[in-house]
Amino acid sequence: MSGLNENDQRTDLFNLTGAVKYLSKLKDQIATLPGKLKENEKFILFLKKTFLWFSVTAAIFFIFVFFIWLVPLLQEIPSGGKINITNSAAVKEDASYRRIIAVMERDLRNLSRKYNSYTSGQSYLVINTTDNRFQLYRNKQMIREGFCSSGSYKMLQTHEGKSWIFKTPKGKFTIKDKRVNPVWTRPDWAFVEEGLPIPSRNHPSRYEYGVLGDYALGLGDGYLIHGTIYKRFIGMPVTHGCVRLGDEDLEVIFKTLSVGSKVYIF
Amino acid sequence: MENEVKTIPFYNRLPFILAMILLCLLMVGHLVLSLKAPVKKLREIRVQYGFVQDIKNPVNERILTDSAFLALMKEKAYYQSRVAMAATDSIYMTINLGDSTLNLEISGVVVHTAEIKKIKLSHILKRDEYPVLNMLSTPFVITADYSTIKKEPVMIKMAPKDTSEYQPDIIPDTADYEPVNFILLMENGVKIHIYQGEKLRAGDNLNRFLFDLRDRLRITTSTLFSTIRFRVPEYYPYIRIRLARADSKRIYRALPYRGQAGLYR
Repeated sequence: MSGLNENDQRTDLFNLTGAVKYLSKLKDQIATLPGKLKENEKFILFLKKTFLWFSVTAAIFFIFVFFIWLVPLLQEIPSGGKINITNSAAVKEDASYRRIIAVMERDLRNLSRKYNSYTSGQSYLVINTTDNRFQLYRNKQMIREGFCSSGSYKMLQTHEGKSWIFKTPKGKFTIKDKRVNPVWTRPDWAFVEEGLPIPSRNHPSRYEYGVLGDYALGLGDGYLIHGTIYKRFIGMPVTHGCVRLGDEDLEVIFKTLSVGSKVYIF
Repeated sequence: MENEVKTIPFYNRLPFILAMILLCLLMVGHLVLSLKAPVKKLREIRVQYGFVQDIKNPVNERILTDSAFLALMKEKAYYQSRVAMAATDSIYMTINLGDSTLNLEISGVVVHTAEIKKIKLSHILKRDEYPVLNMLSTPFVITADYSTIKKEPVMIKMAPKDTSEYQPDIIPDTADYEPVNFILLMENGVKIHIYQGEKLRAGDNLNRFLFDLRDRLRITTSTLFSTIRFRVPEYYPYIRIRLARADSKRIYRALPYRGQAGLYR
């Protein structure tokens, strides 16, 4: 400002020199604008695409959530009318009410009695084949529990197409017979399993002594509760369908259960 | 023209708009029909299990909403279904919401009791209404099941041709781990979901989520088909239960293919 005389200073009230300088700078910047604009447009396009993809993904996600979760959730809004549970004295006075309640109470007593009669006071055995455990009950009280072995779920197949599945049957069974020092009559699969030829029905090789322990309790269809010489396998699913027990457990069970006692296998 | 940036057309607008309109219509239609489904199911239950008036001894129908009557009805329904199931020699399941237990029973004898960690019921099954309680008096029969474990873990073994090929059995690996989740679809349309309640391994929760998702997808697919045909889809009242893994496994393996179940609430 020192180069300006007093008159000039008076006319440059709006700092025109500065404005001129600013405008010339702006002109230079405008000259470089097309390049920058191109860069910005690319960026905006990228933003647009990202937004579009995000919107599409969000929409698909919403549709998925709508069909899979939202609709089933909305279905759970109570519908079908409100139920007004009453406790009206007038209804209770009604003769038909008293009759109905009396009938229901009688039915309930009968049903309850019938149901409780199923759990007899007699001894019974419960076998859990999933965990290979047993529980012995007497007078509705558990008196002993422990490990056992049940079916291995192996399916033995021959090249001729014959097959056997080694699983312990489930449900309610009855002790059909009790044996001391049982002898195992080997079925056909016992020979097939070892690659041996199947002998005739009463062939001496069918009979094996001492492998079933001291006692056996028959459940029918060839299934037994018996002892074993392979004690390390107790508690594992390794049998051909019978239930194997340790010597002490077997003795207690043998002495507690009688022919006709129930065995529940699940 | 050099500096001009061309935008690639992402979609053709008209088909896109039409598709959007169709999708919106499908969604609205699906929602409306799906909301009608529980009402339809309740109506079916009312028709099938509703109170039948005895012409000789007519009963004041106001009794059916009486609290004392309904309490007796609940008890009776539970005993009725248990007695009916006990009459068979098969293994069945009873769900008792009163004491949060799930029992496995055979001929009336409780052979296993599992503690329920968490339970959720469909609103229909929560209704204190004569037809619903009457429905509970009939055992639920399993018609299909979906599970993360095999019901019978059968292993096939080829018989040796002779003694030289014979190899003794390998001791089974009892340390094998699989998360246990299963769904039982009952004859009356009720679905019982039994899921593992505890997280024992890292993938347990994910496995449960994916198993549940698969079931939801199965249902959604069938309901969408109904929507497309303008039919009210099937509604499955549910019972969702969380149990300990060991209990879930015992129950699933114990129940026969057409096993039965009873509910007391």
